[in-house]
Amino acid sequence: MTSEDAWVDDLAPIKPADWNRARARHLLNRAGFGGTPEDIDRLAAMTPAAAVERLVDYEDERTGALPAFEHSGVYDATLQVFPPSRPAATRKAETTGEAIGVRVKPGGTRRVQPVVDRFFFWLRATALETRRVAAWWADRMVATDRPLQEKMALFWHGHFATGADKVRDYRKMLVQLELFHQKGTGNFRELLVSVAKDPAMLVFLDAGQNVKGAPNENFGREVMELFTMGVGNYSETDIREAARAFTGWSNDDLRFKVEEAKHDASEKVFLGKRGNFDGVEILNVILAQEVTANFIVGKIYRYFVRDDLSPDLQKRIGAILRENDYELKPLLRTIFLSRDFYSEPSVGTRIKGPVDLIVSMCRELGVKRLPGVPDFNSSCGELGQVLLNPPTVAGWAQGRAWITPGMLLARGNLARQMLLPDMINFVDPNLDPGAQIREVNNRILRGMSVTAATSEENPGAAMAEERAMANVLADKEDFNTRYGSLNGWREAVRRVKPTLRVPAQFSLTALVLPAQPKTTTEVVDIMLGRFLSVPLAEKSRLALIDFLDNELGTADVERATTYMEDPLRLLAHLIMSTPEYQLA
Amino acid sequence: MTSHSCDVARREVLRLGLYAGGLAALGVPMSFGGIARAAEAAASGRILVVVELSGANDGLNTVVPYRDDDYYRARPRLGIRADKLRKVDDAFGFQSGMAGFERLYKEGRLAIVHGVGYDQPSFSHFSSMAYWHTGAPNSGAAYGWLGRLADGMDPAGTADYLVNIDSHQSLAVRARSHVPLVFDDPDKFLRTAAFEEESALRAVVTSRDVGNPTQRFLLEVADSAQNAEPRLRQACAEYRTPVDYGLVHFGLDKVAALISAGFPTRIYYVAFRNNAFDTHVQQSDVHARLLTYTSDHIAAFLHDMDRIGRDDDVCVMAFSEFGRRVAENANLGTDHGTAGTLFIAGKRVKGGHYGKMPSLVDLDDGNMRYTTDFRRVYATLIREWMNHSDVSAVLGRDFEGLGVIG
Repeated sequence: MTSEDAWVDDLAPIKPADWNRARARHLLNRAGFGGTPEDIDRLAAMTPAAAVERLVDYEDERTGALPAFEHSGVYDATLQVFPPSRPAATRKAETTGEAIGVRVKPGGTRRVQPVVDRFFFWLRATALETRRVAAWWADRMVATDRPLQEKMALFWHGHFATGADKVRDYRKMLVQLELFHQKGTGNFRELLVSVAKDPAMLVFLDAGQNVKGAPNENFGREVMELFTMGVGNYSETDIREAARAFTGWSNDDLRFKVEEAKHDASEKVFLGKRGNFDGVEILNVILAQEVTANFIVGKIYRYFVRDDLSPDLQKRIGAILRENDYELKPLLRTIFLSRDFYSEPSVGTRIKGPVDLIVSMCRELGVKRLPGVPDFNSSCGELGQVLLNPPTVAGWAQGRAWITPGMLLARGNLARQMLLPDMINFVDPNLDPGAQIREVNNRILRGMSVTAATSEENPGAAMAEERAMANVLADKEDFNTRYGSLNGWREAVRRVKPTLRVPAQFSLTALVLPAQPKTTTEVVDIMLGRFLSVPLAEKSRLALIDFLDNELGTADVERATTYMEDPLRLLAHLIMSTPEYQLA
Repeated sequence: MTSHSCDVARREVLRLGLYAGGLAALGVPMSFGGIARAAEAAASGRILVVVELSGANDGLNTVVPYRDDDYYRARPRLGIRADKLRKVDDAFGFQSGMAGFERLYKEGRLAIVHGVGYDQPSFSHFSSMAYWHTGAPNSGAAYGWLGRLADGMDPAGTADYLVNIDSHQSLAVRARSHVPLVFDDPDKFLRTAAFEEESALRAVVTSRDVGNPTQRFLLEVADSAQNAEPRLRQACAEYRTPVDYGLVHFGLDKVAALISAGFPTRIYYVAFRNNAFDTHVQQSDVHARLLTYTSDHIAAFLHDMDRIGRDDDVCVMAFSEFGRRVAENANLGTDHGTAGTLFIAGKRVKGGHYGKMPSLVDLDDGNMRYTTDFRRVYATLIREWMNHSDVSAVLGRDFEGLGVIG
């Protein structure tokens, strides 16, 4: 392994003579989501340059007719200006007699209830549509012949992190995702400008609130700290000046607009430059900084290669991005072809993120579509990565941050759900409102009054003085938010398209037998070869062979071919529960 | 699959509890061997619970200086009128939803620390939170202050000494010789497997002496998971309490369950997550709600500790990475600021005000000038509460405590 050690920080391309199956696998793991042994064989049969080209210059690849997202049709124009909170909705309704396209009742009880129902309907409907968008995206990752396009879109989603919970409009999230798909491997300058004008981003970082005379610094800060330069390379004054330049930037539903009356067109002093900058000019000043290219390549490198990156290598890679005027493909080609990429510390050391884990599990099993069971969004959530809802504006911390004791257990459990799905207990989470709403629903169905149905369950009079303040406040409201929450759910699940709940269709027997294994030892080695990128300790391998012998009742494979599917699935579960399986 | 060792651990706890308590009750001096050591451990078995309020809580609208006209001048629309507050004295009042904190304060169990911050403040959530996590501003330190505290107090790296209730491990608990137990939902802290897989599973998931550094890291975590799994779920499943922990259970109910079950944990880290307190826009309603949840939950936890007789053993500290600007912004919200308000609560806490309230007019570019370095709070907790004298090893140098623990 000494040659591979010497390759650290060496950007020279790997020679065809050094190309082999293990390296082809490494490339497919990192530039894509792994694949079947056949996928790896195809890349291994090429020259390294051709293999990299196959992944990076994917425009030549057929798209395999990836289906477009199917909207459920829950949106209409009255939702375009959605109130920032339930109190804001009801205040507006109480003062103007109408909100979110719904009028207040002229008399009777709970006059504002229809507005509250409408408010919760959209919260629920857009959240459910967002889950559908996430699953649709993951399905593309599983099905695509252009894995790098998806892997890069996933990178930019974490980089330009925007959360659907705040944006509250799945359509804007979808528009942003299209942007990452279209420009994710194009030119970073174009991408950055497009993101700054992207409706989801504008809403997420409060652009609408950033107006002349009262700038909101949210975007001005994040664009430098998280999107381009990194902390420590600009001053608080630069942030405020940048915020002024972005004043008036806003969106008209799904379109970018500049409100001239709210734009501060006067002079700014920004990063040492002086001028009547607008937002795009600010971005250009940022892009002229050497630190910007270095920051971006550092993040891309850590995503694709490894965590520790020497300052010298970072500068050299940064120079590649600058010399190519922020075109991303020359950078990606250089990285994926470099000896450094195949050096020992780069290989088998990256912890797969949750989405990567699930998608690569499907691809290794030869599954062509994302399964409906287990539920993709719930599985990802348990592993700490909910697509379209990153935890903060900084996106997801990568690497070791994915792993805690509980997360490791959850990864093994996910594998079990994928391999041996429990259809009998499966409940569609898109139809599951949780215990509280379910209880209110059942009480209403039994004929209870709204007040009684929504009152707190815990009537323990002895502990009355211990009742939390929040519950006391809820009682005083003159319309019923819990009832509204139920009504919102009911309408949303009536109207949002159902998700097909089909488990993954595959046969491990059919995957294993073509290699004509004679013994359980050979079967275990075939399975380890398919699923692991780093070797398993001999003791563990022997335990797996022992396990398979016991399950099959023989070490003779031919004797067991008619009943080996479930034992093979258990074997795969054991392999996918190992710490080694988390590595790519 | 390790329910056997779990039972042993529980019996161990019971046995020590019975012996120590029983002998003490009889007035027998516990001067011999194991029992004496166990008693000493129990006496110094104080538990620190740190609550992170991420997103930068607006301290000025939490503990409102209602006698200060400058406050209302800076916040003509967001300022909370005196008659809407829960006044605690002739200078300050809590947000109206904070009945829990008001009660703790009146019971003399709540210390309010004003003007908490540090030099050359960062206005970035992530940088500033990392400074708080490491206790080392502008350093890029690799371990958290609580991780270093655990390493200092317990160099052997006792399992489950550090618990982090969150979906992700915080930098604050990252330690050299401890693998923190991190969990969110105890029901999910469970490996599901077929009966037939049991022995093979044990063989393939646990320790082996091979591989690259990432692989070794994964193996360590796998060991921790294997050991903690059954005890953790049992503790949470068995715990019953009549106390109302409020509408948002951000984790202290689980802390109570583990304490009640006799976990050896000395440091708990709990996070109110997802930058919730980042109130740039239309903050009144949402901020009031967040404070209600926070105050309900913390007060409930301490009352629950009273109930199970562990009130002498716990101390809760709640902080944010920074405060917000003095003036409200144009969107009925507040932007990133500097000094913040911090809380320390518990039966052994001497309630009252600590630190000096910063001026609301003598500002640094619109921001308050901090009066109390946050590491003084840390030093207070390390030395006064945890009885660990080597503050410098945790914080890089010594800091003067606040005298909060009585």
